[in-house]
Amino acid sequence: MEEILPTKMHYKLDFKGKGETFFGIVIVNWLLTIVTLGIYYPWAKAKTLQFLFGQTTLNDDPFSFLGTGKEMFKGFIKVIALFATLIAVFGLFLYMELPAVGFIVFYLTLIAIMPMAIHGSYKYRMSRTSWRGVRFGYRGDRTEFVKLFFKWIFFTIISFGIYGSWFTINLRNYVLSNIRFGDAELNYQGDGGDYLVMNLKGYFLSVLTLGIYSFWWQKDIFEYYIDNLSLHKEDKQISFTSTATGSDFIGLIVVNFIMIVFTLGLGYAWVVTRTMKFIFDHIELEGNIDLDTLQQTEANFTDATGDDVSDFLDVDFIV
Amino acid sequence: MNQEAAGIYFDGKSATPQAVTIVLNKLNGVLQFQTETATVERWLLGELSFENVGTTLQLQKQQPDGIAILKISDGSFAEAILKFRKANKQVGWYEKMLASGMKFHLVLALVILGLIGLTYVYAIPWVGEKSAALVPESFDDSMSGTFISDNLLFSDIASDKSKVLNAFAKELQLNNKKKLKFIFVEEDIVNAFALPDGTIVVYSGIVNKMQNYDELVALLGHEAAHVNHRHSMKMLCRNLSGYLFISAILGDANGIMATIGDNVNSFQSLSFSREFEQEADREGFAIVIKNKVDPNGMLNLFKRLQNEGDAIVPEFLSSHPVTTQRIATTRQLVKSTSHQVEANSKLQELFQQLKK
Repeated sequence: MEEILPTKMHYKLDFKGKGETFFGIVIVNWLLTIVTLGIYYPWAKAKTLQFLFGQTTLNDDPFSFLGTGKEMFKGFIKVIALFATLIAVFGLFLYMELPAVGFIVFYLTLIAIMPMAIHGSYKYRMSRTSWRGVRFGYRGDRTEFVKLFFKWIFFTIISFGIYGSWFTINLRNYVLSNIRFGDAELNYQGDGGDYLVMNLKGYFLSVLTLGIYSFWWQKDIFEYYIDNLSLHKEDKQISFTSTATGSDFIGLIVVNFIMIVFTLGLGYAWVVTRTMKFIFDHIELEGNIDLDTLQQTEANFTDATGDDVSDFLDVDFIV
Repeated sequence: MNQEAAGIYFDGKSATPQAVTIVLNKLNGVLQFQTETATVERWLLGELSFENVGTTLQLQKQQPDGIAILKISDGSFAEAILKFRKANKQVGWYEKMLASGMKFHLVLALVILGLIGLTYVYAIPWVGEKSAALVPESFDDSMSGTFISDNLLFSDIASDKSKVLNAFAKELQLNNKKKLKFIFVEEDIVNAFALPDGTIVVYSGIVNKMQNYDELVALLGHEAAHVNHRHSMKMLCRNLSGYLFISAILGDANGIMATIGDNVNSFQSLSFSREFEQEADREGFAIVIKNKVDPNGMLNLFKRLQNEGDAIVPEFLSSHPVTTQRIATTRQLVKSTSHQVEANSKLQELFQQLKK
């Protein structure tokens, strides 16, 4: 009759990176990007992600980002080729004196690329992220996601943007719930209606208080993103809770602003590291999954070929 | 020549930590340890990647099915590893640059910023000027068309007085290569401006302040000089290239920096415009002399504009700096240039018609 009651486990997220270290990375990247006339950019991005992931720890073990500059460079070339083609097509329509058609084609293509870019970026980044050697993975289906994306866009347009709130949250639900962490699964359960009410409240109170409430609004958004997140493995789970308060956000944002302005931007590295530290210090994990038992399930990326794996368009994480 | 330390090993198949005892052979740089499944692992330092997390050193080894990890918290052991890598030239130039310390990075940052600043101040205006020469003049005209329809839509264009103004200008040698067109607007604004297509707009407000036709000649000469030198297009090209440069350098950094950069650029463009104003003053003066009009009219014009009172705005911020300095420069010019003055009754008469 032992182990009936699941034991409560201890979890701790942290960010251990020092601003000083990151400053070195930023400056060296900057120098190399300028010297190579921008070609170094994908490598710089890989180095930045490697640092930020590598200094984030769960129970004192760091995550790792194993993507390389070379892989990102390929994505970078794809984007350039894509835009060159788009602009050439646009130019062709101008030449045929059909600027309106040109504009429509240009923007429709851009919108059509969006879901593919999100899909590719998640697939790529997740496959290259691991913790204690256990890989993450993204299992969303591209065709399904593209269809859903267009459905949501359509609703957003015919509802004059009101559906945009559901759009944002549905997107989150879909993408985050398709993330695997070894044999555990991430789940996000948000509701567009709640999100809309929260943002309306945040907006009007911010206007009424001349912006002071915006810090609490920020806190609500953060909370909404964190509290609806959970990790599942078999019948066990870990839930995520935000512990940040509105005044915590005042401290974060005001100090960040001062640091950037009074160092003419050189404080950027410290702003990033303290923001990362802030985020992970204010996420509390509670549950009964024994992290030591996580198993490798996602295929190793060295044999994961396929065109949908790329970090093109530089879509930043929805998280 | 061996050193031993406790470590934690992850095999890349599960997240289960395994306590291991690692032995470093300082001669050949091999780490050896035994896993829980009693396999003996031999890792060559040259094929690992390294990351410091807090006080822990994390070693990663790429394996066919994923990465295996070793965590070492023993400081002296980590130092021994670094020593071996340094001695065997396994530390790459990138890692060296990162490890070169905060002071070096700060100096590097300031050097880059300095170089960017120099490029911005010296190279960008040059590029702007050169690129203006590439833009066909027909573009100047279409650009002005938009401006006129947008900005003069609600203004009261006096067509009779515009005719008089055109006749006045016809009496003058304005050094123009392009056909100039003059528009007179009934509005109490003490100003005049030139559009790149050769349209020069003069407000009744400024003409009413004038005492003599020589002041109007100075004004038209100044505005015609702007057109002759394509100042608007040059300004546009300079602003644009400055903007592109700043966003290329800072765009990636962050929003706040980019905003600061944009503002610096617009301040800078004000000083470009001061430079253009000075050029227009010099040529305007030459036009006055060429037409045998009294150059003191130019001085009087500036004094009137000065009294109009942008005196509160410091010169640094003002785009049309009618300042003591500008007056002094003109006074100097009047003194040092030999000039002939011939009274022109036709100009006088047309001027009186405009003032009505």
